[in-house]
Amino acid sequence: MNLTLAQGIVKASALLGAGLCMGMGALGPGVGEGFVAGKACEGIARSPENASLITRTMLVGQAVSESTGIYSLVIALLLIFST
Amino acid sequence: MAFSVEHIQIAAYLGAGICVGIGAVTTGIGSGIIAGEGAYGIVKQPKANEQIFRTMLIGQAAAQTAGIFALVISMLLIYGRSDAPEGGWFRAAAYLAAGLAMGLGSVGPSLGAGYSGGQACKSVARMPKHGNAIMGNMLIGQALSQTSAIFALVVAFLLMYSIPNQPADISMGRIIVKSVALIASGLSIGFGTLGPGTGIGYVAGKASDMMGRFPNEKSKIMRTMFLGAAVSESTAIYSLVVSFLLIFAL
Amino acid sequence: MAKKKSPMLKIILIFFIVEVVLVFLSGNFSKQLEIGFEHGKFRIRHVETEYNLQEKITEEFQIDEYYSQHGKTPEIYGSKKLYNLFKFLSKFGTVPFTPMGTFQLLRMILIVDIVLLLMALFIRKSLARRPAKSQIIFELVYTSLEEFVTETLGKDKVNYTPYIVTLFIFIWVCNMIGMIPIPGFMEPTRNLNVPLGLGFMVVIVVHFTAIKMKGAWKHIQNYINPVKNPLCLLDIVGEASKVVSISFRLFGNILGGAIIILVVSSLVSFVVLPIGLTLFFGVFVGTIQAFVFTMLALTYIGVEIAE
Repeated sequence: MNLTLAQGIVKASALLGAGLCMGMGALGPGVGEGFVAGKACEGIARSPENASLITRTMLVGQAVSESTGIYSLVIALLLIFST
Repeated sequence: MAFSVEHIQIAAYLGAGICVGIGAVTTGIGSGIIAGEGAYGIVKQPKANEQIFRTMLIGQAAAQTAGIFALVISMLLIYGRSDAPEGGWFRAAAYLAAGLAMGLGSVGPSLGAGYSGGQACKSVARMPKHGNAIMGNMLIGQALSQTSAIFALVVAFLLMYSIPNQPADISMGRIIVKSVALIASGLSIGFGTLGPGTGIGYVAGKASDMMGRFPNEKSKIMRTMFLGAAVSESTAIYSLVVSFLLIFAL
Repeated sequence: MAKKKSPMLKIILIFFIVEVVLVFLSGNFSKQLEIGFEHGKFRIRHVETEYNLQEKITEEFQIDEYYSQHGKTPEIYGSKKLYNLFKFLSKFGTVPFTPMGTFQLLRMILIVDIVLLLMALFIRKSLARRPAKSQIIFELVYTSLEEFVTETLGKDKVNYTPYIVTLFIFIWVCNMIGMIPIPGFMEPTRNLNVPLGLGFMVVIVVHFTAIKMKGAWKHIQNYINPVKNPLCLLDIVGEASKVVSISFRLFGNILGGAIIILVVSSLVSFVVLPIGLTLFFGVFVGTIQAFVFTMLALTYIGVEIAE
């Protein structure tokens, strides 16, 4: 399969967009989830009798804050495969 | 555009410079945080001098792992076989992308490892009796946060050693697509490790801190740290998947 | 402190020695990296210049593409009868059975299932009033997971324990089995289909639980009635993202570990570093990811019960 120059530039910019999308999109959720987990460690140390409740809250909170990471993954896959 | 060997050399030397230049920034910051907390801890608890000093040294050594990865990649880029012209534009793009991946990829993990080492020093100063447990926890936490640096390292290795040579009769559009895909894969894993590395470092730091305050809850704290760190790493994994796709699927 | 550490160290040492022996037996370290001076300049290069990492990765991870590109017949590694059996069984289905990757995956899952069955039979046979070491290990795993279940779901939901324990042990054995350096052996979780199937199963169990707790109509209204739940569209996306996040996490970790081990062991000729990485990615990451998958499944079920 050979592409003309214009088609190549379009496809190349889509791929660059995919890489930047996933890279930047992973930045926020990573820091946010780490913050959640750190605070959960603190909470469990302070009140160990509520450990299961805190663990559940932590996992649910991380799952929600990860959703933007998943949106970036979906967009990156779309950019790679559908253009 | 006519291609010559100098293009590959330009890309390799540029990549090497970017790699160590960006990678050394937060390695320095992280080691500095650890040293600062260690010095403050010795002021507060002069009797535990030796233990705090040992924790500080080991923590700094572990925090510099990502910086050493960047140094290795940069040495390979400088002294590797960048004088062979058959690679073409693919090779030039791959060398630049390898430098970008490892340079950006060592920023987050070093910062995270620095924070966790600093908190561990503080914690040892508060509770020198449990110094060994805190140091073990610190090392495990730093290993967790360096995992994303290992991802960046492996993408850099793949970019440097697994890219095929550019075929002879290939259109300009195809060359642009493949070269830009390689650079994009480096950017993806480079920026993608930044957040998770810092976040996991925060988790490990908090765990070390709390282990110094409440040493009886050691197992529960460690369990939460493992779970939280493994979940926080998932975005780095997504970046890794996208990088592999950009390298191999196109 | 020293007392607590020693069994862990012993286990790691045993793993290390077994890996060294296995790697020596399989002779799997032929690639060399030469470091030295040439024309007064410091150089690092491969001794085998023909060696192509990308081809090797294609052979390892996209086996069907590799054999169709090169026009070779794929190696079955002595399981001809099994291949013929799968081919025979697939005559009753609608899809003809040819691809090699599918066959490898099915064979590995079969091996994992046989391992699990043998483990169960062995433990069942050696049950005793004074427990042996193996029984202690399994009881430890079972009781600790049971404790998690009762903590998260409540005392009356202990009947979820077998599902959770099976999930954990299955994923753990899947992640471990790739460490055995026999040609053709791979982690079944390295193929996206396996984690995706497990993830779908988890979401089905979650919704089954919710319907059982709240009733079918009330549960479905959560997703279609914008008056009761103004964020119903986002919730549907959230359900999809549950499957994606839980399965991609497992898949990416195991695939990344496998590729890292392949790359490092092809670059470095000496034995120690790849084995250390195998230990890290096989034992450490494999166990943690199995645990995380199980805990996430448990939490998803727990959220539905708590409502």
